[in-house]
Amino acid sequence: MLLQVAGFEFRYQLRQPLFWILSAILFAVAMLITGAGSLSIGSASGVHRNSPDLVNQLHLIFSIFFMFVGTAFVAGSVLKDDETGFGPILRTTRLTKFDYLYGRFAGAFAVVCVCLLGVTAASLLGGMAFWLDPDLKGPFLPGAYAYGYLVMALPNVFFTAAAFFTLSTVTRSMGWTFIGVIAFLVLYVITSIAVSRPDLAPIVARWEPFGSGAYEFATRYWTVSERNSLNPPVAGVLLFNRLFVLLLGAGFLVLAYPLSRLQAAGVKADAARRSTWPASAEEPFRPKPALHPAAPPAPPLRDAAWAQMVERTRFDMAHVFKSVAFWAILALGMANAVAILWTITSDDRYSGAVWPVTRILIPALEGGFAIFPMIIAGYFAGDLVWRDRDRRMHEIIDATPAPDWTFVLPKIAAVTLVLWATLLVSVAAAVGIQSSKGYTDFEPAKFLIWYLVPHAVDFAALAILAVFFQVLSPNKFVGWGVLLVWFVGVLTLPRVGWEHGLLFYASPFQSRMPLSDMNGLGAFWIGPWWFRLYDAGLGLLLTALCYALWRRGAESRYAPRFARLPARLRGPAGVMAGLGLVTALGAGAFILVNTNVWNTYRTKTSNEAWQADYERALLRYETVPQPSVVAVKLAVSIHPHQRLLETKGVYELENRTGQPLREVHVRFDRDVVVCALSIQGAWARTAADPRFNYRIFTFDSPMLPGEKRTLSFTTQAAQHGFRNRDNMTSVVDNGTFVNSEEIAPVIGMSRDMLLRDHAARWRQGLKYDLHPPPLNPNPAARQNSYVGHVGWTTADITVTTDADQTPIAPGYKVSDITQNGRRTAHFVTEAPILQFFSVQSARYLVKTERYKGVDLSVYYDPHHPYNVERMETALKASLDYYRANFSPYQFRQARVVEFPDYARFAQSFAGTFPWSEGLGFIADYRDPEKIDMVTYIAAHEFAHQWWAHQIVGADQQGATSLSETLAQYSALQVMRNLYGPDKIRKFLKFELDSYLRARGGEVLEEQPLYKVESDQGYIHYRKGSLVMYRLADEIGEDKVNAALRSLLAQYAFKGAPYPTSLDLVHALRAQAPADKQQLITDLFEMRTLYDVKTTAAASKRRPDGRYDVTLTVSAAKVYADGKGKVLKTPMAEDLWIGLFDAKPGSGKFGPKNVIALEKRPIHSGVQTISFIAPRPPTWAGADPYNELIDRNSDDNLLAVK
Amino acid sequence: MLIIENLTHVYPGGVKALDEVSLTVPRGMFGLLGPNGAGKSTLMRIVATLQAPTSGFVRFDDIDVLKHPEALRRTLGYLPQDFGVYPRVTAQDMLDHMAVLKGFAKAGERRELVEGLLAQVNLWQHRKKALAGFSGGMRQRFGIAQALIGAPSLIIVDEPTAGLDPEERQRFLNLLSEIGENMVVVLSTHIVDDVADLCPRMAIIAGGRIVREGAPQALMASLDGRVWVKTVDKIDMERLRQRHEVISTRLFAGRTLVHVLADHDPGDGFAPIAGGLEDVYFSTLSAQAAA
Repeated sequence: MLLQVAGFEFRYQLRQPLFWILSAILFAVAMLITGAGSLSIGSASGVHRNSPDLVNQLHLIFSIFFMFVGTAFVAGSVLKDDETGFGPILRTTRLTKFDYLYGRFAGAFAVVCVCLLGVTAASLLGGMAFWLDPDLKGPFLPGAYAYGYLVMALPNVFFTAAAFFTLSTVTRSMGWTFIGVIAFLVLYVITSIAVSRPDLAPIVARWEPFGSGAYEFATRYWTVSERNSLNPPVAGVLLFNRLFVLLLGAGFLVLAYPLSRLQAAGVKADAARRSTWPASAEEPFRPKPALHPAAPPAPPLRDAAWAQMVERTRFDMAHVFKSVAFWAILALGMANAVAILWTITSDDRYSGAVWPVTRILIPALEGGFAIFPMIIAGYFAGDLVWRDRDRRMHEIIDATPAPDWTFVLPKIAAVTLVLWATLLVSVAAAVGIQSSKGYTDFEPAKFLIWYLVPHAVDFAALAILAVFFQVLSPNKFVGWGVLLVWFVGVLTLPRVGWEHGLLFYASPFQSRMPLSDMNGLGAFWIGPWWFRLYDAGLGLLLTALCYALWRRGAESRYAPRFARLPARLRGPAGVMAGLGLVTALGAGAFILVNTNVWNTYRTKTSNEAWQADYERALLRYETVPQPSVVAVKLAVSIHPHQRLLETKGVYELENRTGQPLREVHVRFDRDVVVCALSIQGAWARTAADPRFNYRIFTFDSPMLPGEKRTLSFTTQAAQHGFRNRDNMTSVVDNGTFVNSEEIAPVIGMSRDMLLRDHAARWRQGLKYDLHPPPLNPNPAARQNSYVGHVGWTTADITVTTDADQTPIAPGYKVSDITQNGRRTAHFVTEAPILQFFSVQSARYLVKTERYKGVDLSVYYDPHHPYNVERMETALKASLDYYRANFSPYQFRQARVVEFPDYARFAQSFAGTFPWSEGLGFIADYRDPEKIDMVTYIAAHEFAHQWWAHQIVGADQQGATSLSETLAQYSALQVMRNLYGPDKIRKFLKFELDSYLRARGGEVLEEQPLYKVESDQGYIHYRKGSLVMYRLADEIGEDKVNAALRSLLAQYAFKGAPYPTSLDLVHALRAQAPADKQQLITDLFEMRTLYDVKTTAAASKRRPDGRYDVTLTVSAAKVYADGKGKVLKTPMAEDLWIGLFDAKPGSGKFGPKNVIALEKRPIHSGVQTISFIAPRPPTWAGADPYNELIDRNSDDNLLAVK
Repeated sequence: MLIIENLTHVYPGGVKALDEVSLTVPRGMFGLLGPNGAGKSTLMRIVATLQAPTSGFVRFDDIDVLKHPEALRRTLGYLPQDFGVYPRVTAQDMLDHMAVLKGFAKAGERRELVEGLLAQVNLWQHRKKALAGFSGGMRQRFGIAQALIGAPSLIIVDEPTAGLDPEERQRFLNLLSEIGENMVVVLSTHIVDDVADLCPRMAIIAGGRIVREGAPQALMASLDGRVWVKTVDKIDMERLRQRHEVISTRLFAGRTLVHVLADHDPGDGFAPIAGGLEDVYFSTLSAQAAA
């Protein structure tokens, strides 16, 4: 019987439109995700679109969607009997409860499995799509799809289907079952966020019910080549998790039998109804008033229209607010918002906490809450527009004299008001987060102007659109489908080059405004509000069309509705439509003038194309010998409120090439307007494409070696009106920050402005990758620095700005005059600086402290006083260490200068560190356990005054190891001095995990450190830290510093030939003893990975009261190639072995917890190590502080038995 | 007066629901009688402004209904054949809401009206209860209450008694009978007794056409002396059908009561009987079917 029931159910469900619609949607979405090369899901770029990893990720993600899909099928399979009233018939047959329940489940679950196959098929087809970059496609691996389907998705889908099937038999209501689904999802999301800490990963991997934790854990350090070819073996934690999930599902199914209340349903419901309502026959007949006196004739309609409007709005609102769906969605949105806000404020980079300032909460809300307005608008527009029909009330309602617009407008108003309610709730969540974190500087005005008002308008536009789609569609499912298509369009069209805001009515992305506490909205609100006016116009038009096409009565065919459209648009509706159209056209025209006439309309695609053309036209000039800039004199005039910056400048050029020069190549940033440009004794050739702002000058008589000439120029950096994208963020009302390349010419071609992204290059037909020149010690190959080919110069810079702002430029301030509302400061350098510098201007508070002859200053915005002290302290500690260990500091000042949150980085220019307000200025250090990133950044940037501003690498592979790696090393030593070596473990662990994860995402080739390429940050920062720290530990900090001093002595402030990473390696080798030479090879020249594991640890009390401790340690060492393939190599090294009575890296761990820490020889394979310890350890292990690049650093330590 | 001229409606797919229907409905209760699928509801919906016909003309007093539906709606009360209710809304609230839609803007005025109507249709003690829990009869009474809001001069009730038990049906008809004579009330039904009990004028619709029209008495008079009755066994029916024009058959105590139409005594043991409206209806339908 069970099989027949299942078979019937299976065939029945397959015939339902629900199955086909859901399958089609899921197939389409899965296809889109896999087939759109630019969309990413979880996997790093470089992973093939048809790789096992992507297939598995896709199946994991979709198995979460399938909570809803599965529930719709399995719950529907039993609930439909009560809905249709067929239940009682069924229950009077000989069908047993067991056969009924499990037969229905089996049949419906089989349908779910078929539906899920659609996802697998889509991932197969999408991954092979012909339009994909061939580099994004790997070999066809059929096993991957079976694995994804069977191992990843199916257990999850079984679990959720079983759980919610059981819930549906208990609640006997589809609504409550779905609320259960949503509640589970909310709980899941919140829990996931709460436990998303690396130390909990093994636990999460076991018990997380969707298996993504287990998959993540099993593959966490996988390289691209592994991800492209392998599935993790179904063993260990992954096997445990999959079995756990299956058993959980089975457990729920078993529960369904005793818990199910389906059997008696029909009877109970009827009985309940009877008892509530007395038989009408028993009603006494009462004398009635005559009918007519009670029913006065209706008053003229005009009086009533407004009341009808209000009443309908109230009625529609009540309908929404009384629905469970609204509260469920709202709760989900709220939970999501809280979780996101909590996360971003608790766990910034390096697990640092930040103060929950309004500025960072708003974008997080926009990002995290964004999808919910879409769901709410879509869902309720469908619900409200079709409600009268769904409830079969439409004939009564439609026959009333209420005019059509009293039906149309309230729907729009109700959807809008509901959206506004969610907006308010999200603000409540934000304020709640602020309060709970002890942040009391509430900024209602910012919430209002930056968030509530703009989005109130956007949401109204969205509500109109959602209602319009419903009015246009033959049923609400089609209406929802159209809205979904529109939303997917909004998401994807910009990726294929359709970016103009005018194409995207009510797009949630178009009208975002960059926020800054320093600069407020600046002028960035103007464009978005014009787009909003445009949306408002279109919204009016759409509203009028909603009215004109409104379905009233039984007529729902299109032809008659469109036929009467013109007639219905006569009158107020037409006026409204006309007004809307005129507004939209007017605003649109003005927008077009701004985006396409006053500014050049650019898209991501056109920008890429421009870069590609630039490369094709100009890369050939890269090696043309060029004169050096030896002196710079600039007069910079900043007009913050006009967004205008004018620069007049003179360069002194010197021919240091040793050969006569015929040409000078002068390039400018793409947006710089060159008002005047001349070179003494040279004329500009016109051949260079004006698109590129690149000019080639030819000398009348060649420039001889040692000869000097001058170059004079006048430029403007400015923006008129607003752009469609990439508004100028460098010159703003408060917080101007430009670097020299944005305002002044650069001599000679370099690769700075070229396209680097592999996929983008392929799209643009550049079918080779752009690598820096290969490592080459030949002086001829070391003529240019890697920083835009610039060299050392002197600078004399005058900056004029508005009187209330502080101008800042490199060098010492020799004068500072304010007159006529303008402030002019004059800066002169005393030491040579790189010809790459910054100019800033804003209203600053300044804290300056003179420390050992150096002025240490922080220029900060009054909003952000939190970490100014800490920055000062960091600067002092850095200065002490660097002067003592490297060389003297070349300047008498060091200035941290805040700039607006339009970019998040800190950068080191001569004696000056521009530092984003979004990074560190709002870091919250009330919890002393948090890693002190502010000090770390300050120390890193300060270290660049040596590693970049004293010696700078030649433009070759490995150049950044001389700057970034050494700055990391320097900062680590400062941190170590401040916090002690035992606290460094947390930091090293972070660096190790970042490195291992990022190398998994390498698209091209992982270089060894000494050949690192400038965009491989995970190598020069992350691996660099680990390499240098280990080296200092192995050969001694003093030896490393001695090597660095020798490097400085040889190259500081010298021009070409510039040093290379080989110089660094040589200097280190010179200091290292013979037995550490191989170590240097392993660290710098190889990609070396270890796998050290403590497999057993036991301690036993000796008769003398001390303890015998025995550790079993296994070790392995491999060399990886650039693609991640590994080769085993014998290992014989001395590693730290430690015994502790607290876990290293945990909060309370400190020097007092170290019982023993000794270097012991470790070789490949398994070995036993013995200690005699004075007290019993609780933790023990090899390489306890994670100095090695260990592929699994979590198993180094073990609790002692 | 409601005037319908040459009304034709063809549904997409080619079903001709109405075929050149012309009808004049005077003040008072008018019965529109017809079997399921005769086109009654389509006609009612067109008159109630809910549907545009393929061709034809509808006028109520001086309102051109098809051109100015909004004008008719101001004076229309409509109770559709089949309607649902919103969940979680009480009778009183719903009636109040309908009153707003019908143009009563003032809350006080509305309350008086709604309370009066609720008392009128005997739902006063249920006014705070959700409509979704109402029995079929209560729901129909609520339906007529909403149709009466604003003293409409045209009331259309489409199959109001279908599915009601006899008592509820009687009660509903009582309610209808109280509606004043100054308005046009169109009652569409497939139950002959509804019309017989209430309507001074009526029409029979079948296959999308009006096949008979007139006062019930006059229509019944036309059958005077032409209807004959006999009780037979089931097995004799086939033979009877071949020999006589059978209007209707009805089972009674296990045997069949047969009405036949004949100008003269058909013999065979038939006895004369006074023709009722039912005989008019069935004879018309069978004539229509034969034609």
